[in-house]
Amino acid sequence: MSRAKLSFPSVEWFNAVRKEFNTDEEFHRRGAGHCNCVAGVKVGDDVFVLTFEGQECTSVEQSGELALADADFYMSMDAVDWQEMLANISKHGHAVGDYTLNTLDLNRFDGLATSVHGDQFREDMFFRFNQTLQFFFDASSRIDTRFG
Amino acid sequence: MVVLDSPRLWNRLQRKLAKKVKKKTEESTSTHVKQLKNFEAKKEEIEIPEPRLNWMGITREWGVKVLPGEKGLTLGSLNVGVYGEIPTTWSDRGRNPRGAIASGARLPLAISVQDKADLWANSAATLYEEAIQRRWIPATDIPWDQLAPLPDDIEHAICQVCTELMQYANTDIEVITNWQHKMAYGYHEVKQYLATASFDGARRYEAFRKRALSNGGGLGLESTCQVNRVLLESTGGWTETVATWVFNRLLFALTICRYLERFAYNEAEIKLYQYVGQDLARILSYGIDHLHYAMNADPEKRASVGISITIGDAFLVRDLRDPVLKEALSIIFGAGINGVNKDGLDTFYEMLDTYVKEYLELCAWLKLDRKLEQMPTIFQADKRKR
Amino acid sequence: MAEVAPQNQNVDMDLEWMDKTGSWDTNAEPGRNGLTLADIQIGDYGEIPDYSRNLSGRPRGSAPRPDSMRLGNYTVREKSEIWMDNASFLYEEALQRQWSSATDVPWETIEPLPDDVEQAQCQMATFLTEVEFVAGDVPSRWVAKTSPDFFEARQVLLAQVNDESRHMDVFRKRALANGGGLMRSTGSTAGFVGGIDLSRDFTEMSSRLHISGEGAVLTIFRMGELMAYNDAEKTIYRLCAQDEARHVAFGVMHMRYMSEHAPERRDEIHSYLDEAEGGLLTSAANPAGTLNQTSESLAILLGGGIKKFDEGWRKLVAIRRRQLMEYKKRVISAGFGERFENGRSRLTEIMEQAAA
Repeated sequence: MSRAKLSFPSVEWFNAVRKEFNTDEEFHRRGAGHCNCVAGVKVGDDVFVLTFEGQECTSVEQSGELALADADFYMSMDAVDWQEMLANISKHGHAVGDYTLNTLDLNRFDGLATSVHGDQFREDMFFRFNQTLQFFFDASSRIDTRFG
Repeated sequence: MVVLDSPRLWNRLQRKLAKKVKKKTEESTSTHVKQLKNFEAKKEEIEIPEPRLNWMGITREWGVKVLPGEKGLTLGSLNVGVYGEIPTTWSDRGRNPRGAIASGARLPLAISVQDKADLWANSAATLYEEAIQRRWIPATDIPWDQLAPLPDDIEHAICQVCTELMQYANTDIEVITNWQHKMAYGYHEVKQYLATASFDGARRYEAFRKRALSNGGGLGLESTCQVNRVLLESTGGWTETVATWVFNRLLFALTICRYLERFAYNEAEIKLYQYVGQDLARILSYGIDHLHYAMNADPEKRASVGISITIGDAFLVRDLRDPVLKEALSIIFGAGINGVNKDGLDTFYEMLDTYVKEYLELCAWLKLDRKLEQMPTIFQADKRKR
Repeated sequence: MAEVAPQNQNVDMDLEWMDKTGSWDTNAEPGRNGLTLADIQIGDYGEIPDYSRNLSGRPRGSAPRPDSMRLGNYTVREKSEIWMDNASFLYEEALQRQWSSATDVPWETIEPLPDDVEQAQCQMATFLTEVEFVAGDVPSRWVAKTSPDFFEARQVLLAQVNDESRHMDVFRKRALANGGGLMRSTGSTAGFVGGIDLSRDFTEMSSRLHISGEGAVLTIFRMGELMAYNDAEKTIYRLCAQDEARHVAFGVMHMRYMSEHAPERRDEIHSYLDEAEGGLLTSAANPAGTLNQTSESLAILLGGGIKKFDEGWRKLVAIRRRQLMEYKKRVISAGFGERFENGRSRLTEIMEQAAA
């Protein structure tokens, strides 16, 4: 667990998660090998772009909404919903029940994952790499997170 | 591709894109709200049918609770109660899972292998799980960075052997995929194992191609086709196909890989031949186990298995009359053309003798009446012409 | 080959084969993802013929033997019949993202469920075991019919066969791991004209299997994760959904390629899609369709028991709509979106039915 509390959402927070995710072999097995996609994360009005290449999440950038046009898909929720999800992950060590990415997607009328381009082939990457994305956010259980 | 060399054009495009994103976000929000409203409004409109529940309680055996063991929850461990009853004939030509209740009305599939004796191997479920546990990835599990330039004659020889082994793998794939859909679903362990085996074949095909194309060489001359032909033209019986496959291809290919590993030039090749060897050994195990089961369950099969191997031998001899594989392997084993006379050719024949020895041991274990002196002379060390 | 001529001539060597090779001096290098199939598509080796004359099964790019026999029973010999641009990526992805149903599913998290829920789960598991049989055997059969000149596409299909085998196995395991058992199969996944089994053309098969069939099953797998009662079920469905999304991607990309490179076949493809749409809800291959044993099981699982059947049914209807919307977007992505503009598609009508 990182000592200093990191604020969500922020590049520092994502980088800390990225480090945990990239360095633990457990996150790259069990159906979660190489992953190649660009995923957006929209937390309220804040936009982050995560690039996954091979075994790693290679970069996280904070951007404007414009950057979402280049993402294969993006996951969008209000800050409070992200907070709930991360709290669930923190409590259990990984997402359980209604807080897995896929379930969040299905339980929301407009889904969690969407895209600017509307191309279902690229949006399907959310499913194709779902276990990797889940492990990425599950890795946040090791980060001391501060919200707001 | 549009080249944006004008800042004005770039800015305009940026604004346009930003607008698009904003619109999409707004649309998304309004769609969200609209959908919520629609859903709420439609909630009452949705006609809820009265459940018939006529499928409930329909089972041959209930209360089954198989627990995971040391190797997890394995396919073989599921064979309990009615689910483990594997009949000698599976007359159902549909896709009813074994142990489930078949639906009454259905059209038959073109399934022709319906007798257990024609495909079964007791080890199929174990081999299936083994294939999954021992999976490997040519892209990342082979240390390709360990390849280093080799003398041209050796590189030529390795590339030639890789080309031929690719074609072997291609035949393996086509043998399985020609037969798989003809096999009855009641013997799902075999079908499932063969699914992993065809995937293994794809991996071999890929791995040898990668080796040939990554060290300054390329692909060589295509393989001779004689054993390939016997295997692909064997359409009358799976057991007979397996007999030729086991004795005249898989065992031969495995022996080649074992020798290639022994004479590998770098760590990448060692790993490659080791991994491929494991995969070949697994399909060989299925084949041997099936032949064992088939000939015990149906003693008449002993004769057709024997004939299949005899035919296979004759065609392997035709393949071996072609000098290409022999020369390529001898160059590899002899560390170059100049070593062919010194060690290379001797090692090639040693390899052939190893193959024949294991072939005969296998015959003995399967109680197939076969003696060295009955085999073509190329397989007999004291009679062959080098 | 003067530079490699043997100096010791004790053995009469031919060595002519050394001059009979494909392109030489090939040096593929591994990248971030290792040495991938894409990395070895270089020079002549990356050139895929529009029409394959390879009937001996030789590796693409190798030197042919003039005396080779025609062994391959290949009916798929035109590139556009099977090709897609991302085959090598999908294949590598499949290799990288394999999993084991024996050890990667936390089976110990399964706990006894109320009988109605366990029965519904087992009915779904029986059905999915049956359906996955289709998706394994049919692509396998097409592999043997396809020229190895298009081996990248064949590799993806072989990976799919392997995936489907694992799906068959994991649902059988689920049915037998928690005090239940297998139930009744539908028997209606085969043998019909217009079905996946009987397709005489690869694209026809792919449009049914990958686009409509597996697209629908993908939604079910995702829904399975939603209606899971424990971590084991969540894992099963999530991992199956990943695999299924890859198979769907194959179909979308193949149709896109077909649309761009064989425009003369567009109308024919629309005919397949007409049939596929006709069966989207009524086909027994769609567990969220109208077949009562699967739709009722789903409603029970989604609602949380027979007593909450109505609630579950409402969710099922929402999910059917989502299935149809995703199908529509995939068809658009594949390049056949005009059918939703020109009135050819019956999707709007089917969406109305979905609510009924």
